[in-house]
Amino acid sequence: MERVLDVRNLKVYYFTSKGPVRAVDDISFYINKGETLGVVGESGCGKTTLGTALLNMPTPPGKVVGGEIIIDGTNILELNENQLRKNVRWEKISMVFQGAMNSLTPAYTIEKQMLETLRYHRELDEQEARERIKKYVNLVGLSDDVLKRYPHELSGGMKQRIVIAMALFLEPELVICDEPTTALDVVVQAQIINLLKELKQKLNLSFIFVTHDLATEAEVADRIMVMYAGKIAEIGTNDQIYGEQGPMHPYTSNLLAATPRLHKKVEKLNFIPGSPPDLLNPPAGCRFHLRCPVVMEKCRTEEPPLKEVEKDHYVACWRCYENE
Amino acid sequence: MSDVIFELKNVKKWFPARRNLGQLLSGERKWIKAVDGVSLKIKRGEIFGLIGESGCGKTTTGKLIMKLMEPSDGQIIFNGEDVTHLDKERLGQYKRNVQMIFQDPYASMNPRFRAVDVLTEPLEIHGIGKSKAEREELAAKALEAVKLTPPEDFLGRYAHMLSGGQRQRLATARTLILSPDFIVADEPVSMIDLSTRAEILHMMKEVQQSMGLTYLYITHDLSTARYFTDRIAVMYLGKIVEMGYADDLIDKAKHPYTKALISAVCEPVSGKVNQSKEVPIKGEIPSAANIPEGCRFHPRCLYAKPECMQGEDPELQEVENGHYVACIRYKEIEEMGTSWR
Amino acid sequence: MRNDGNKAKKKTSISRETRIKEFKESLKEFWSDFKQVKYGIVGLVLLIVFILMMVLEPFIIPFPEAGERWSDITYWIDNPRSAAPAWVNWFSGKKNTVHEFLTEPELQVTDTPQFQVVEAEFNYNYKYDIPPGELTLKALGKGNVVVEAEIIRPDGETINLVRKNFNTRNETEIRIPLGNEAATRIINFGREFESTENSRNVQRHLLKPMEILFSKAQEGILVKPEPLKGDYRINVKAIIVGKDSYIKDPEVVVSGKVFGFLGTDDARRDIWSGIVVGTKWAIFIGLLTAFVSIAVGIMYGVTMAYFGGWVDSLMMRIYEIFVSIPMLPVLVVFSAVFSPSLWTLILFMCVFYWTGPVLTVRSMALQIKEETYIEAAHALNASTGRIIFKHMIPQLIPYAFANMALSVPGAIVAEASISLLGLGDASVVTWGQILHGAMKSSAVLKGLWWWIVPPGLMIALLGMTFAFLGFSMDKILNPKLKTR
Repeated sequence: MERVLDVRNLKVYYFTSKGPVRAVDDISFYINKGETLGVVGESGCGKTTLGTALLNMPTPPGKVVGGEIIIDGTNILELNENQLRKNVRWEKISMVFQGAMNSLTPAYTIEKQMLETLRYHRELDEQEARERIKKYVNLVGLSDDVLKRYPHELSGGMKQRIVIAMALFLEPELVICDEPTTALDVVVQAQIINLLKELKQKLNLSFIFVTHDLATEAEVADRIMVMYAGKIAEIGTNDQIYGEQGPMHPYTSNLLAATPRLHKKVEKLNFIPGSPPDLLNPPAGCRFHLRCPVVMEKCRTEEPPLKEVEKDHYVACWRCYENE
Repeated sequence: MSDVIFELKNVKKWFPARRNLGQLLSGERKWIKAVDGVSLKIKRGEIFGLIGESGCGKTTTGKLIMKLMEPSDGQIIFNGEDVTHLDKERLGQYKRNVQMIFQDPYASMNPRFRAVDVLTEPLEIHGIGKSKAEREELAAKALEAVKLTPPEDFLGRYAHMLSGGQRQRLATARTLILSPDFIVADEPVSMIDLSTRAEILHMMKEVQQSMGLTYLYITHDLSTARYFTDRIAVMYLGKIVEMGYADDLIDKAKHPYTKALISAVCEPVSGKVNQSKEVPIKGEIPSAANIPEGCRFHPRCLYAKPECMQGEDPELQEVENGHYVACIRYKEIEEMGTSWR
Repeated sequence: MRNDGNKAKKKTSISRETRIKEFKESLKEFWSDFKQVKYGIVGLVLLIVFILMMVLEPFIIPFPEAGERWSDITYWIDNPRSAAPAWVNWFSGKKNTVHEFLTEPELQVTDTPQFQVVEAEFNYNYKYDIPPGELTLKALGKGNVVVEAEIIRPDGETINLVRKNFNTRNETEIRIPLGNEAATRIINFGREFESTENSRNVQRHLLKPMEILFSKAQEGILVKPEPLKGDYRINVKAIIVGKDSYIKDPEVVVSGKVFGFLGTDDARRDIWSGIVVGTKWAIFIGLLTAFVSIAVGIMYGVTMAYFGGWVDSLMMRIYEIFVSIPMLPVLVVFSAVFSPSLWTLILFMCVFYWTGPVLTVRSMALQIKEETYIEAAHALNASTGRIIFKHMIPQLIPYAFANMALSVPGAIVAEASISLLGLGDASVVTWGQILHGAMKSSAVLKGLWWWIVPPGLMIALLGMTFAFLGFSMDKILNPKLKTR
């Protein structure tokens, strides 16, 4: 299968006065064409950092300190700012930022801000640009008349659709969505999820769907990447993670057991004691070992590599290699 | 004492809407009906869930109970006593017995306060404890109750030096320190990481059982509500549309709105990637300033009939043991089953 | 049980050390942010300089009583009038005589039965181009004393200067301005060398005795004198008659054309001393006014925000009235009518300056009022006072500090303006008062720039210091600016 994105040994550190915070620490993964990769993790695990790093625009004081991000055979980390802006960002890979729907300029109509964004990236005459905007607004399930409206006249769901349209209209191959449903009500959440699925099929797009919610991921992601403390804990297909057999990494399985279920009566929900480690000073060995219920001696000293334990199923856990 | 600790009788909270010049001149008044006739009874020792989407009035209901605002109409009865309007002295007494846990524990504590200041503040306000040392001792005990142990490790810390779960424990400790009867918990775990969410819920339940507390649990999250609560009321545009025992309500939902909510919830199970989610509801939630005539849900309801679109809102009626629905067609809808298309 | 209680107390109270440690840490953090702001550092350095000036005042001013005796002419009597700063000599080709005291002469005392003769010989090395303004002979004496003085020039010429009788009952200061007393003799000395034509043509009142005294004895001594450099000897002879009579501490004051670090004004006052003494007043006026007005302004703004409704509207109207009154004109009228003391002046400035922070504080407080922790406090039945003083005002402290620093310059300038107009408190030496003196004696017309520039510059510098500090604090402590 064709890969739209290949990430190898990516490291992103935040350089603070207290030292480097290893927000993303040596991770490698890929995305196939037309596939949605779900990135799950709790707050502070590096998932949002990863998103911005993939556009090679980490938020200061963050810096990409190593690795490769290969899109279309080029390592975009080697490109300069100008090339990135012209050929990569929004052209090949775009992003729906967390809370982007609240950052629409209140003083402009939707059409005006969309036009501005579009023409900043592409030289199009007014007519062409308007056509294209109309097309994408329709594509995300909105009628043309929203274009003349101001952001405050739109509901949260509509604004989120506009933001998604703006991420799409330069026809990228890959769209990163950072918590696109978090601030929305359940019904609207479901509608946005449906929209993303529809777009994926219609346009043969690839998505990276970043969220903290395992349940949402089950609805959208073909493959799920679980992050913990700046590292990948597990990557598996939807079936491997949510199916009968269940995930392999103790973090994933415990997190899954901590997710409340609507249609299943759970006597006592699970939880993971403790809190994620400080990334200024991550623990030696496996980063999860301090909270892991099945920790072994080896976990405390040696860091487990990400290994393919079955087809398309990668796990970084000493326990899981043993089972083989 | 009766087994009903709280009773709301047709409680309303209307806010005046901003008027334009024309409305101002014609003397027309518009109201945002945040809470529009809520009646419910909360039993002593239960956990009562209040569920709804943003803007449905659930938080306003919580604030009315907390006496952070005065209701426009209706009655609030606490322990058999009408507390709708209270004088200063009785208000102080009331606020000792009824406490609140806020959604964002970080925002609910003064960033310049240490844990010890957070915990001794309610004691100072209500004049409990003779000396500072005595109050600090009580604070340490409260920390032990929420399992922030050893307390001396935490008393000196500021909120920003605690993790999300520890913060919510501290916030809970603050509500417990006055040994109240009733606690309003407004989305207490929505800002907390999934891995520790259950831990906080367990802690809250433990405290509830050991101290004989009653909770009003306000949330938008059906899944935790089912897990945590005994009974649930679903609110839509300022009114309760369905109410019942948690399991009943979710497994045998009768109101079309509740059904839509339930079907919209994501579940962590495989095999749903390639199919679209079916959510039996249309349009978006209207503004509380402009509530539709008839059943307020009818513009979004897939089953709406002409009789739903006029007259008064349907009454909340008991249809089964402890299961109340405000829908005139619930029976027909049930018979239709899933063939609603 | 009691033991237990004590133990618990020990455990739960936050120890002093941790508080100190945390305070240190937050200071450290503030400092590391502060270091980034360049103008903040400039401001800090200037502030340290000003503070040093204040603290070291007694050590760095030549006239320790300058502050108390600023308007006392006798305190400044030995100084030259309107002398430029000493360092002016570095930049000009013709050297001005530096102000000097000739003390410790060679003394010779001869006693006779009837009287006592005291002979004092002063040596003066003259190495300048422009002669001194005056030579003043000074001594303390009592009883019947006859004083004679002569000068022996480097070229060997001797001029008899004066012979004067003193008869005093108590000890008094004897002052003989030699140039003035001996004008005729000196001019006559000059005429001896000048050509007859020149001598006849020259106008007597244009001749300066001191110029002649220190010029080469040659033709042109009156019209075009050339300085005669070298060692001059001034011989003073005092004949003391009577048993109780005596004379002591003889001294010759060479009144220079340049004096001290910043020169003198036309009342002979040392400007440097005035500047240094004025520093503490400027800082005092600035800080006190800023502190009081900011404190009032913050209380006012918070009260408005907290109560809202008609209280807010009413207080807003009152605020607007105060804002729309122009301060300086009112202050001028007020000062003219009441001739206020420094304290009333400060109070009056506060009446106008409290409005500065009100609007910002109000909007900040409105924001804080909406915070969840305020709601939580309400839910706990916290009183209004508790919410205002424990929850709202502490949040505003950083802003208050920044604002305080920013309003210091205004207060300093306002006081200076009032003083400049002669309406201030004349008993206090402020920079404004110095400027007022300069204006009164038309220092600008006379070209006495050293009387005008230093106080003006100091006002500007001190204002700048606090403005820089204020801006940098604002930048660090104001969360809105920080995120930008």
